Amino acid sequence: MIEAEQDSEDSQLMTLKDIREDIDRIDARILALLTERMERALLTRRLKEKVEDPGREAAVLGRVRRASRGVLGAEFSEDLYRRVLGEARALQARDPKTVGFHGEHGAYSEMAAWHWNAGTVGIPCREFSEIFDGVEGGLFDFGVVPVENSLGGLVGPVNEMLTETDLHVVGAVDMPVSHCLLALHGSDHREIRSVYSHPQALAQCRRFLARNHLDPVSFYDTAGAAKMIAQERAKGAAAVASRLAAGIYDLEVIKEDVQDAASNRTRFLVLAREAGEGPGNKCSAVFSTEDKAGALFRTLEIFARADINLTRIESVPKGPGDYAIFVDFEGAEREDRVKSAIEEAAAATREFRLLGCYEERKV
Amino acid sequence: MSLAAAREDRRRTVIDVNGVRLGGEFVVIAGPCSVESEDQTIRTAVAVKAAGAHMLRGGAFKPRTSPYAFQGLGLKGLKILDKARRETGLPVVTEVVDTRDVSWVGEYADVLQIGARNMQNFSLLREAGKSGRPILLKRGMHSTLEEWLNCAEYILAEGNGKVALCERGIRSFETFTRNTLDLSMIPAVHSQSHLPVFVDPSHGTGVLGLIEPMSLAAIAAGADGLEIEVHVDPPAALSDKDQQLTPGAFETLMKKAAALRAFMETLNSEDEVAGASPYGAAKDAFADWVD
Repeated sequence: MIEAEQDSEDSQLMTLKDIREDIDRIDARILALLTERMERALLTRRLKEKVEDPGREAAVLGRVRRASRGVLGAEFSEDLYRRVLGEARALQARDPKTVGFHGEHGAYSEMAAWHWNAGTVGIPCREFSEIFDGVEGGLFDFGVVPVENSLGGLVGPVNEMLTETDLHVVGAVDMPVSHCLLALHGSDHREIRSVYSHPQALAQCRRFLARNHLDPVSFYDTAGAAKMIAQERAKGAAAVASRLAAGIYDLEVIKEDVQDAASNRTRFLVLAREAGEGPGNKCSAVFSTEDKAGALFRTLEIFARADINLTRIESVPKGPGDYAIFVDFEGAEREDRVKSAIEEAAAATREFRLLGCYEERKV
Repeated sequence: MSLAAAREDRRRTVIDVNGVRLGGEFVVIAGPCSVESEDQTIRTAVAVKAAGAHMLRGGAFKPRTSPYAFQGLGLKGLKILDKARRETGLPVVTEVVDTRDVSWVGEYADVLQIGARNMQNFSLLREAGKSGRPILLKRGMHSTLEEWLNCAEYILAEGNGKVALCERGIRSFETFTRNTLDLSMIPAVHSQSHLPVFVDPSHGTGVLGLIEPMSLAAIAAGADGLEIEVHVDPPAALSDKDQQLTPGAFETLMKKAAALRAFMETLNSEDEVAGASPYGAAKDAFADWVD
């Protein structure tokens, strides 16, 4: 008790503990930036002839030397960066597959990418269009996008982009989404007033937030909100994000499963330039029908007669009176009944396109 | 006072807590005084469940006589209780001491307990009422029945009908016991109110050897249930080490309680035949369900 009193009296003076906390924060930022740097280095691999580029390395080291001042010796900085560049070269030589996903590290989309293929490297994207453009342009090997949520319905912008893209669907992940309330370690949960997250996540936790008198604040991403809380050391604030994000940004899980509905699942599609290999167990297609009575019914009837189970039918408006119809169905393209149903449907509709036959993973 | 008062038709309140019917069946709430660790809490929870307890108790926020005594694990304690509930399926009863904690404790626990020292903390009572959660309201150690029922009234007046009372002993000149367990309150509450009434013989006596006989006496007096402190290793407990039963002693108590209750049923059915049962066993016939 006596010690505590002394601490509070000298509140102006930084203690060893305060300074060490600052150092821990700085380390967290350095590591986050190093991660980002390595990811960028990996992306350059697709845009250059070979891994080694001595001219570029010399330019980087030169700049690092010149930028070193004060307690930071030029020798040390150069040594450190030689290690960094060496690691970047090794990473490029290993050449792991990259997956563009929406949000920051720890986003549900990144979790979905890992469920699909644990060996991939996730590259954070701010916009869905960055993912589509990145895969189309060859910057990323794959992209992962959410298409529908059991509570929030379809993810509008993604489905619109899917109607226009030439990309193929090569995989899908149907995954439970468990939201956690995250705050700084050691913070008093009773002092939390504002909760940052993606608007859809906040909407899924509406009753929980209301019960505990917490103000929802919209943010562009769930994991991005967690990152912001960690970097700003925000007091009285929390984020709704995944448990994975808690680990990445070193936040405390105040409460698990804060979503109002017991079952909250999101389905993600994995996109690539080329069609997937392997038989798959699921297909996705998009088409338009004539604007007349029974047109859609006659198309769907083709699948019914072939005894093919449709698992999703969604219409996305393209213009007045014009809709793109999405269908997902069970089966593989190599099965005769599936193949003939696809041919028949293609003939009966406009702009029929098979997005892909793929393996859907339910987590 | 009107909401807590006995109804003309003598209907009694039954509170459903995940299938456990407070006031509708005999309910035993058991567990450690304090949540000290995950291991201690879960082992105790498994042991009391095996012995026949219906709900788990455990304190995460402890109102202690001395500010330097163990104050509880707080949020960490709540998370441990949540885990114990998932492992055993027992609904959780835990104390809330601060108005700011009411909604949070409600996120983890099934029943919020308001302790003897906070019985007349009116802002806490109002907050507990607003939470809509079932409340176990202990009797203040210096409180009269009327004061106690008025505190229940505070919760009921917020629109929360899920209130159960718990007698835990009052201060008297006797020093051999920690408190003087006032078992006369059981029939008294039943005559004056429609709310269920529990008995806490652990705090009520504070003496290990008195817990079993007073539990049996409470059953004989018609208590709706018991709240008993049980610890897997009482000598190592961080609080109330002298009044926590071992799982073995609790199991013995539960066996005797079952035998006594069977006997009491026979007496009550004789009462009913004679039309003499004032607050008898056929509670369901008079039940007013609160879900």
